[in-house]
Amino acid sequence: MRLDLEFTRLIAAAPEEVFDAFTDPAGQQAFYGQDDPGWIVQSQCDLRIGGAWTVDFGPSPRELYRHRHVFEVIERPHRLVLTTTETRLDGSSFDTQIEFTFEAWGGKTLMTMTHRGFPTAELREEHERGVPNALARLDRLIQLSRTPAYARHDPAL
Amino acid sequence: MHYTPTLDRTFFALSDPTRRRILELLAARPATIGELAAPFGLTLNGVKKHVRVLEQADLVVTEKVGRARECRLGPAQLQDAARWIEDYRRAWQGRLDRFGAYVEHRQGRG
Repeated sequence: MRLDLEFTRLIAAAPEEVFDAFTDPAGQQAFYGQDDPGWIVQSQCDLRIGGAWTVDFGPSPRELYRHRHVFEVIERPHRLVLTTTETRLDGSSFDTQIEFTFEAWGGKTLMTMTHRGFPTAELREEHERGVPNALARLDRLIQLSRTPAYARHDPAL
Repeated sequence: MHYTPTLDRTFFALSDPTRRRILELLAARPATIGELAAPFGLTLNGVKKHVRVLEQADLVVTEKVGRARECRLGPAQLQDAARWIEDYRRAWQGRLDRFGAYVEHRQGRG
């Protein structure tokens, strides 16, 4: 039984540009950013096989979540595979594997993120029944992408 | 995102295929431990262990009826679990969307 959760986004840029932005500090900051005032993102990345990308993020110094990604596969500009440990506020954690793919798609890049090893297949399936097919959401996502709602990080924090 | 120990127990309880099958059976009608054991070829003790895990997550409640222990579905926790998945999904899709918008905005400036 597959235990995957899949997310997609069509991005108006070439795969090389998207891949490079995703492995760049500013792009990684954007990925974990929020518009909320005071939102914290502390990101450190060692981009090599076996290297770790560690991100602490949250609304305040007392409420920080941690994601620690270890690079398993780096294939520029098409694929990244990470083993990810998500740590909750109570210190407990769970592991998933995340694969990112970057496919040329009509002059743009279809970026796909697949989480494997999600807690239970049953819940995922139950959840997906209520969610439209990811590809059917692309039109809406393209429209949303016109809005420059990218990461905001307050350097004072 | 909000996490609770109850949700942890729910996820743990649902992580086992036998326990999920027990819930399916109980969704049809209440059943005794003995009735639940038969379809799986499990011992009574084996089923009791599974039922105890489901009870701890409030997915199942049991009641002594005569000499048997009857099991039925407990107060629903599945909605909490489904909500957790939805929050989780929204958080990751939000990251992807935000990153995409960042790249496109950067392109526009370049």
